[in-house]
Amino acid sequence: MINSIILSYTTFIYFAAFFLYLLCMVMGRTGFGRLATLATLVGLIAQSLAIVLRWIESYQLGIGHAPFSNLYESLIFFTWTIIFLYMIVEWRTKNRTLGTFVTPLAFLAMAYASFSPGISSKIQPLVPALKSNWLISHVITCFFGYAAFGLSFALSIMYLLKQRDTPEKKNLFLRLIPEQSILDELNYQMIVIGFLMLTLGIITGSVWAHSAWGSYWSWDPKETWSLITWLIYASMIHSRMVRGWKGRKIAYLSFIGFCCVLFTYFGVNYLAGLHSYAK
Amino acid sequence: MKRQFSKSRPVIWAFFSSVKLTVALLIILAMASVVGTLIPQTEGVAEFAKGLSPAVRKLFVFFDLFDVYHSLWFRILMGALTLNIVICSLDRFQGTWKRFTARPRPDREKPFQDIPGEQTFVIDSPPADMAERVHDYLAAKYRKMRAKEVGTEGYFYAERGGYSLFGVYLVHMSVLCILVGGLVGSFLGFEAYVNIVEGESVNTVVSRKERSPIELGFEVRCDNFTVDFYENGTPKEYRTEVTFSADGKRMKQEAIRVNHPAVFQGVTFYQSNYGTVPGNTVHLSISSQGGGPGARHMKVEPGKPYSLPGGEGTFSITDLRTNIMDIGPAAMVSVKPEHGQGIRFWVFKYQDRAKKILPGPMLNSPKFNASAFEPYTFTLAGLDTRYYTGLQANKDPGVPVVWIGFFLMVAGLFVTFFISHRRIWVKVSQQAQGLVVSVAGTSNKNPVGLQREVNTLTLSLKNLLQGDRQV
Ligand code: HEM
Repeated sequence: MINSIILSYTTFIYFAAFFLYLLCMVMGRTGFGRLATLATLVGLIAQSLAIVLRWIESYQLGIGHAPFSNLYESLIFFTWTIIFLYMIVEWRTKNRTLGTFVTPLAFLAMAYASFSPGISSKIQPLVPALKSNWLISHVITCFFGYAAFGLSFALSIMYLLKQRDTPEKKNLFLRLIPEQSILDELNYQMIVIGFLMLTLGIITGSVWAHSAWGSYWSWDPKETWSLITWLIYASMIHSRMVRGWKGRKIAYLSFIGFCCVLFTYFGVNYLAGLHSYAK
Repeated sequence: MKRQFSKSRPVIWAFFSSVKLTVALLIILAMASVVGTLIPQTEGVAEFAKGLSPAVRKLFVFFDLFDVYHSLWFRILMGALTLNIVICSLDRFQGTWKRFTARPRPDREKPFQDIPGEQTFVIDSPPADMAERVHDYLAAKYRKMRAKEVGTEGYFYAERGGYSLFGVYLVHMSVLCILVGGLVGSFLGFEAYVNIVEGESVNTVVSRKERSPIELGFEVRCDNFTVDFYENGTPKEYRTEVTFSADGKRMKQEAIRVNHPAVFQGVTFYQSNYGTVPGNTVHLSISSQGGGPGARHMKVEPGKPYSLPGGEGTFSITDLRTNIMDIGPAAMVSVKPEHGQGIRFWVFKYQDRAKKILPGPMLNSPKFNASAFEPYTFTLAGLDTRYYTGLQANKDPGVPVVWIGFFLMVAGLFVTFFISHRRIWVKVSQQAQGLVVSVAGTSNKNPVGLQREVNTLTLSLKNLLQGDRQV
């Protein structure tokens, strides 16, 4: 299984990228930054390759399906979307500071997928309920949503850190973080993208549930938690229209929102799970 | 925004048109939903409730905490959100309409205050048809183009993306649409299930909520059921072939698979589960100790009496199970001798497994003794089984409304998030150094995108007006 080997190497590449981004901010040398971007790009390309290989391999095993069907594959794809989205933001904003806060998320998710004993990296056949064209669109939209919320979470941490920056403080790390107004604007853009994607994710999931189980909404814990997440981000979008609710409050809400995302993703398995396909 | 009638509007209107209420409601709804995922709902309620003290249990029941999502207070919250959306939309629509239809004067100076230097350029020998060129260029790219000449100065105004002002209304209406669709489904639809044995038909299904039968008004026959497995033993596909008939006429034949339901007369049938029931043939073997008529194999039909090998009476199969207590197939043999008391006992296909699983006292009772009627020992050699298919049968006339809501929501979000209302002003004035051209713009969102657009426009206009020199 060459794909799993490439993927476990990718974990280290992302860790290296994180280290380089951090060095760049602590030492203030752009040389490290360039290397960090290069490492991230190499990681992304290797990971894309591994995903495609895994897809091909599943067909060679005679159980061909898109590699989005179990926890291992979903964590890999989550990492991929978050790095992909980050690369776009880095390219558009020409600023690398966000990398220091995003690459750890990617690295942790990859490490969890590759090295946690409870997670099997084997390619498994699809149970009948998962055999649907909705699977691909559902997974892609959900995970782009999660990734955008992940970036928003990282931006919120930066926002709160930047608050501690004062001209007297000669802290290079804090000084390199962009202005709060820029962070706030970018944060809102991420929330908007995430909200649109999560909406699409819930809708595709709903349509799929309707064709598989006969009901587009059945209040199962995973569905409900995705709705909770959606409601939190909807309230965030509106709270910008209430006077004075910018910046810090949005940063805290984004914090709560991302906790909801994580709970929707992992935590729900600890509740009475109807969404488990293992049954 | 100014609200002309705000004075005359009642307090309740102000309350329900406030976005603060929206934020509060969305957060409260989220918290209520959290409660519903922490407390068991419908399934596992009984065990959970046992662990609570009577007072707490009463409280839980009073607040419907075992069925949060269908409780009155949850519905009231949704109702409040609905009212909030409706009143807020009504409250703001007039203002939006005004902004959409507004025709700002082209000769305004305000947009040009504080514009950066790059948005102004000078043409020393402007072409004669300068005004037409600017006009045509803007008219091709923008809408609501207007031009005006004031002395030596020419002004142009144009805009685009005005319709995006309505995106938010689309999103909000879509929320209503989805809620209405849900309501329609809960009043006019049903969720039911039915098990159909291969080769048999049904014309009723069982409601999940009330556990009562629902007349379909047509017949569903299960022609065939198959289940395929992967090599590792996990199921690959379930497939039920059904025939729908109404008024004694066959109307439609279809195969139902997971993710591929069949629809007939508004009712949708989904593959849900399957199982086996005993078929019509039981293979029994009867042996006798001590010089009886010898062992004999018999194919018997359940319920029918057969003579015992030695003619001492009759026996029949009165109960059949494909799997009893995880032991496997079992048949109940009832023996009716010519003289004396009848006797009934279970016969297993896997007698050894039965000995391991069943507790001692049970094994010693005659009910589980296959040799209870002497001198015979009955053995269950085999059992024909038939599959039954478990179908979920739902009717939900609200679904199309919900689908429309989904579509509107996605369309509305796209328009709201990615399209902005951009207004462009261009001023040309004849001055000593030549023709001075300035470009200014405003936008309701995405200032970065606007800046990029203004810069491109400035460059294009420059090229357009200088292009003449080569001629
Ligand atoms: C679940 C329900 C709701 C959803 C999904 C929703 C969604 C949205 C979205 C996506 C926007 C656009 C934000 C932007 O321009 O960046 C918005 C704006 C807005 N929403 Fe809602 N909304 C909901 C409920 C409500 C309610 C109940 C109100 C009632 C007060 C409300 C009032 C507003 C207002 C005033 C705006 C700003 C419109 C503007 O920019 O002119 N929303 N909403």
